[in-house]
Amino acid sequence: MITFDKVSMRYGDGGAALTNISFEIKKGELAFVTGHSGAGKSTLLKLILAIEKSSGGQLIVNGVNVNRITRRRTPYHRRQIGTVFQDHQLLLDRTVFDNVALPLEIAGFDPRDAARRVRAALDKVGLLHKERLNPAKLSGGEQQRVGIARAVVNRPRIILADEPTGNLDPELSAEVMRVFEQFKNVGVSLLVASHDASLITSLHYRTLTLDHGRLVADQPELKHGPQASR
Amino acid sequence: MARKPRAKQDRSLVRIHAIRQWLLTHGRVARSSGWRLLAQPGSSLLTAFVIAVSLLLPALLFALNSNLTQLLAEFQQDPQISLYLQNTLTETEGLQVSEDLLSRPDIATVDFISSAQGLLEFSAASGLGEVLLQLPSNPLPATILVTPVSEEAALIDALATELGLHPAVALVQIDRLWRQRLQAVSRLISVAGSGLAVIVVLGLFVIVGNTIKLAIENRRMEISVIKLVGGTDSYIARPFLYSGLFYDSVGGLLATVLQLIVLYLVNIPLRDLLKLYDSAFVLQGFDLSGAMLLILAGTSIGWVAALIASLRHIWSLEP
Repeated sequence: MITFDKVSMRYGDGGAALTNISFEIKKGELAFVTGHSGAGKSTLLKLILAIEKSSGGQLIVNGVNVNRITRRRTPYHRRQIGTVFQDHQLLLDRTVFDNVALPLEIAGFDPRDAARRVRAALDKVGLLHKERLNPAKLSGGEQQRVGIARAVVNRPRIILADEPTGNLDPELSAEVMRVFEQFKNVGVSLLVASHDASLITSLHYRTLTLDHGRLVADQPELKHGPQASR
Repeated sequence: MARKPRAKQDRSLVRIHAIRQWLLTHGRVARSSGWRLLAQPGSSLLTAFVIAVSLLLPALLFALNSNLTQLLAEFQQDPQISLYLQNTLTETEGLQVSEDLLSRPDIATVDFISSAQGLLEFSAASGLGEVLLQLPSNPLPATILVTPVSEEAALIDALATELGLHPAVALVQIDRLWRQRLQAVSRLISVAGSGLAVIVVLGLFVIVGNTIKLAIENRRMEISVIKLVGGTDSYIARPFLYSGLFYDSVGGLLATVLQLIVLYLVNIPLRDLLKLYDSAFVLQGFDLSGAMLLILAGTSIGWVAALIASLRHIWSLEP
């Protein structure tokens, strides 16, 4: 679903953000991207979303050559990808429900179908009872889960998450990972950027390690290791 | 066999559904941007008022001009040539000249005004009767008013020149100069109106563009999030286009109301003035089509201005 082939990314000032990155994430695969802050985790996700353009190599996402994507096609490309942002990116002028409904509204869903999907997504993250609240009234962890509900409401084929457990205690982190696993099990590809070492090691998923913009390790999934609780 | 028409029906159902969905979406966006404007009634109304005043100025000029044109048409019916006869001519000789003129094929009517008759009319009209009576002799010449058959300016000019050569005629005057002046003034007003209209259109672009730009700046965060979750530029621009549309349609409506008030106020003294001139002239300038045009012009300017401003600013806003 996601194929990086010798992808490099340089900033305007000549500094290299990513150098010669190659890896592939298959359908139904969940992988972590880890590394120190500034190693290029967020840049990697931005390349996939076509927020940033790579300066070399080839990046194919969901059959789309992201390097060559036109401005007109970019929104439709992003609709195939659910993204959980580190800083939630929730809109504080509308309810939790409306925040989660946003991707459906943009895609022109029938409001009744949309409402059903929104409630299903909120139920999945355990926030159905808070749909009428303003996100500002929620805790950091709850806001993060609203962001997750918004990322999955469109039933995307790819989910990207940038530090999705950053504000959560271990118990909630495990819960979020369980939601991600449900999607992985129905064939969604997930790429989770995180520096939460204990979470990563406890789950035994494939782990890509970045260091100063280079891919220094690609630890495959431990098939027989313990998994997150069902 | 039976499946084919079914599929066709399904497709058209899908299309109807898509159109319905599209209309619903637009309705929702229009409602929400309307509410957004109503949430700040003061500033929204102020913007609409500025737009209204801008629209009002050229609208009034055009109204003034259309009135002048109408006034001109009223006086344009029969252009006349005044022939002032030599003072040495007696009244009988003058009458003879006018009768000779009437036999010409290019002259429709003649009206002989003797010098005595002219003096009577003048003293009655000017109120200088007493003063004129003091004069030792009548200073006014006898006059023949000639109405040419043709209304063409060139033919009338030629006729006037020819009549001027008549030995009995001292001076020829075509009753056209003041009308030409009025026409020149009318042309000037029309040019000024067009110039002002251009300036106002540019001004409206700036006003609406700036308002939309500020609205976009205020919703930067929202736009960025919408872009991240796959909103197209046109989806993002839609509410701003509706607000531009609302601003200027309300502005156009306000301008119409203001114009109505101005015309009403002008009409009162104007009626008295026209009564003095014995004119059947009725003040024009307010009719439904004019009002519609004003509102439509305002609305379309608003929409285009909003379109340019929003696309420009939304384009440059990247997550």
